[in-house]
Amino acid sequence: MICLAPFSHALSQDNKTIEGEINLTGVWIDVNGEEGGEAKATEYRDLREDGGLYGRARFKLDTDKYFLNFEAGDFGYHTQYYQIDGGMWGKFQLNLFYNEIPHNIAFDARSLFFKPGEDTLTGAVNTNFGTWNTFDYETLRRQYGGGLKVDVIRPFFFDVSFARENRNGIKPIGAAETSPGGRAFELPEPVDYVTNNLVVSAGYARKPLFLSLNYFYSDFGNDNNALNVPANFNAPRTISLPPDNTYHGGTVKGALSLPFNSRISTNVGYSSGSSETPTVSLISSGYKGKADTLNCDVALTTNPLRFLDAKIYYKYYKRDNKSDDPTGVVNTFLDYKVITYGGELGLRLPQKFYLSGGYKYVWTDRDDEGVTDPLLLPPANMDNNFFVDLKWSGLDFLEAKAGYERLDRDVHYRSPQSAADPRRQFYYAAQKRDTVKAMLDIFPLENLNFGLEYRFKNTDYTDTTYGLKSEQGHEVEASADYSLGKIAKLYAYGNFGWVKYNQLETAGSGLTGDWRATQWDENWGYGIGAEIYVIPKKLTLVFQHDYMKSDGSVDYTLPPSLFVAGTGLAGANNYNIDIGRWDDYTLYSFMIKAVYNISKHFEASLGYAFETFSYNDAQLDNYSFANNVGANSNRFFFSGAYKDQSYTEHLVFTGITYKF
Amino acid sequence: MKRRGLVFLSIFFALSLVFIAQNNAQNSVKAGSGFVGSEVCKDCHEAQYNKFMGSIHSKKAIPGNPANKAACESCHGPGDQHVEKGGGRGVAIFAFSKKESSTDRDAKCLECHTESRGLPFWDLSRHQSAQTTCDNCHSIHSPVQGKTYLKAQEPDLCFTCHKNIMSQTNKQSHHPIREGKINCSSCHNTMGTSHNGKAMIKADSVNELCYKCHAEKRGPYAFEHPPVEEDCLLCHEIHGSNHSRLLTRRVPLLCQSCHDSGSHPTRPYTNLHSFTGTATQNKNRFFGRSCLNCHGNIHGSSLAAGFDR
Repeated sequence: MICLAPFSHALSQDNKTIEGEINLTGVWIDVNGEEGGEAKATEYRDLREDGGLYGRARFKLDTDKYFLNFEAGDFGYHTQYYQIDGGMWGKFQLNLFYNEIPHNIAFDARSLFFKPGEDTLTGAVNTNFGTWNTFDYETLRRQYGGGLKVDVIRPFFFDVSFARENRNGIKPIGAAETSPGGRAFELPEPVDYVTNNLVVSAGYARKPLFLSLNYFYSDFGNDNNALNVPANFNAPRTISLPPDNTYHGGTVKGALSLPFNSRISTNVGYSSGSSETPTVSLISSGYKGKADTLNCDVALTTNPLRFLDAKIYYKYYKRDNKSDDPTGVVNTFLDYKVITYGGELGLRLPQKFYLSGGYKYVWTDRDDEGVTDPLLLPPANMDNNFFVDLKWSGLDFLEAKAGYERLDRDVHYRSPQSAADPRRQFYYAAQKRDTVKAMLDIFPLENLNFGLEYRFKNTDYTDTTYGLKSEQGHEVEASADYSLGKIAKLYAYGNFGWVKYNQLETAGSGLTGDWRATQWDENWGYGIGAEIYVIPKKLTLVFQHDYMKSDGSVDYTLPPSLFVAGTGLAGANNYNIDIGRWDDYTLYSFMIKAVYNISKHFEASLGYAFETFSYNDAQLDNYSFANNVGANSNRFFFSGAYKDQSYTEHLVFTGITYKF
Repeated sequence: MKRRGLVFLSIFFALSLVFIAQNNAQNSVKAGSGFVGSEVCKDCHEAQYNKFMGSIHSKKAIPGNPANKAACESCHGPGDQHVEKGGGRGVAIFAFSKKESSTDRDAKCLECHTESRGLPFWDLSRHQSAQTTCDNCHSIHSPVQGKTYLKAQEPDLCFTCHKNIMSQTNKQSHHPIREGKINCSSCHNTMGTSHNGKAMIKADSVNELCYKCHAEKRGPYAFEHPPVEEDCLLCHEIHGSNHSRLLTRRVPLLCQSCHDSGSHPTRPYTNLHSFTGTATQNKNRFFGRSCLNCHGNIHGSSLAAGFDR
């Protein structure tokens, strides 16, 4: 209503533009898939039922002084959205919004426990999953808020915005009865979150100075402190859920134009976050979480000569974990700081070449306040990054780019170590990474474009003995679009990606020997589409077809020592185990639609869409809900999350739009 | 370290005072003549003129708008020579064509928009350093997309250049980008950020950006998983992945990239451990959700260092 208040006056003004549209679309949908498939088909959509009526509306009012925009859609569904903004040109702008985002993971999941969705589960161990309770793994975000932007006293400005999100639903969480080696339970985790965000900003913007002061506040609340599973584990179990937290801070941002077409920019900010561990039974020590961050950015850019661009920059970012645990149950408090500095140079060369290059140094220093043993302290990283790019736009119909980037990462460990030290973890391991990219855009005619891209990336984790040792990937992208004036628009794209990962691992305590895994991710896809103006401005046919395929695999090479009696690796007939179904999937879809302009104000549409998703994975093959025999490490009580995501979907839709 | 921040700010403010004074002196110099007025432009360019009149740039209520200056000639420059020579594309006029350098084209827009609150860090934008110009993305006369005057809707507009990102969002595990619930600009500030970051994210660090929507991961947790606290991207491919939950690689191998210190985390789990596999131990560490079957609170826990195994 606040947004609408000025507009009674606006509507009385002579020089005004009013436009908008109202659409109503009927959808009939048929999804063939199991529980996971039905959810995957509608992962972020609300199309679960047989279909329904979907509405959409848009309104715009524009005068010399005032403006008002309204947009809304999917009324009554879990994807509904409403946005309204309005104000006086050059003076102020108000906006309000409401938006829903569903995330469907698996429908008709099962649990041997009663009361899925609540924080205390009950029930008894039972392997007859046909008798288990069913529920849906799904969450829904309801977001709403608004904002005000004020420009009345230029060059000063003031902005304030507030947003609140309620997230509710159930998602899967895993827990073991005992560790290691206990029975695995997949449990329904209740999601009842509320997040509030407030941002206030005030500033000054007039050449040569931009300056703003910004404050932000965010709090997160979880209605459920813990998930209690009292009866079915060996002992009553409590599983911790995300704790309430609060985060607030302020920044000063500024930019100042200097002589020689130069500009200095800065951003200095400090923030503080805290969390509460709510139930004393979780940690009896009375842990209080607190982590502060400090960020300082400063950069100088210059373009003193037409052929020269340059910039230097510095960034300091620190996370200081100030959590407190009086009795020492928690004994690790990770701090880190990242210092980044570097420079870049760009040169406009003859024949419309543009050459740019740069260097960046990143120092990441980690500390763990609760750890005194230098063997256990996390190491520091020193990154040296170099890049060079060349762009050529010497022909009116062609643009080409090529680039190379190099990363050398060194590690500084806190204590001497052997080459096989397991602390050389991927997360901070020394690495050498080369990236090469090339791009070509050709536009021989104003209505015809071709694009081609290639990327190659190779990373060697040079000092790693165990863990991820290397990764190598290629990516190719191509696209084309062509417009035949009043006849049609055509477009197509294609892509190919291939990545290979090499890992070497040691078999672990009680076993001898190293094993190797080589993992491949390969995917390719294409799409074609057309808009055909069968009767120009009257009847348009729209066609779209997309295809995406992922073919993953992993080859294990195991040492003979792992096949000795008692290790549990029965059934291997050789030391090479190849898994061909490793997140394999094929996504195939097409859509055809006819749009008919009945009159200046009315438009009708009719269409059909088909989509099929076929998913295969060794970890989910022959999915079973429960096993309570044999070794404890073979036992499990699963609920069906991600069980089988394959589906086939048919969708028929027809709609009418009124435009004004 | 707080002192270091204060030093930055002090230097910045001192420089500001000097250059505001200098700039005020420069602003008193008036531009030369040669303007013909937009009614003359309309005689030959009626369609463009009408679109301009329907655009935000025609609103006189906005101080400093072209409508309050020389209208068409505010951006295209004085038109007298263009008229004298009988017109023609780019003849004695600034046409925003490829013949004009990206710097010159941007400079035209920045004459006014440097004073926009959303554009103080354009000089640090990757788009600027890649010679992407304002008119590559914005259509000044005939916008397709709302107040930001984009030439096409997000993410399609961004995908015209960022083709690899489009491919990623087509993968089976993705944020709801193609469903229209998240836009590129939800996370990226395409106009540049103060930190000169390659991805131009709207936060001082990757994690702080992710926490805006995933506040439950923010903690601080009593038992932290160090890589999680440092960089979400170590395990997640944000735009889309072949692996569920946007993971960069398949579990358990993803976890084993770091957890190689012996005992059960580092043992080989293969299809011998599948639901129907012949292994006699450790099967619930491979099938289903693998490591996550037991270690459910991988982002942090209030209970145990093993993430509530």
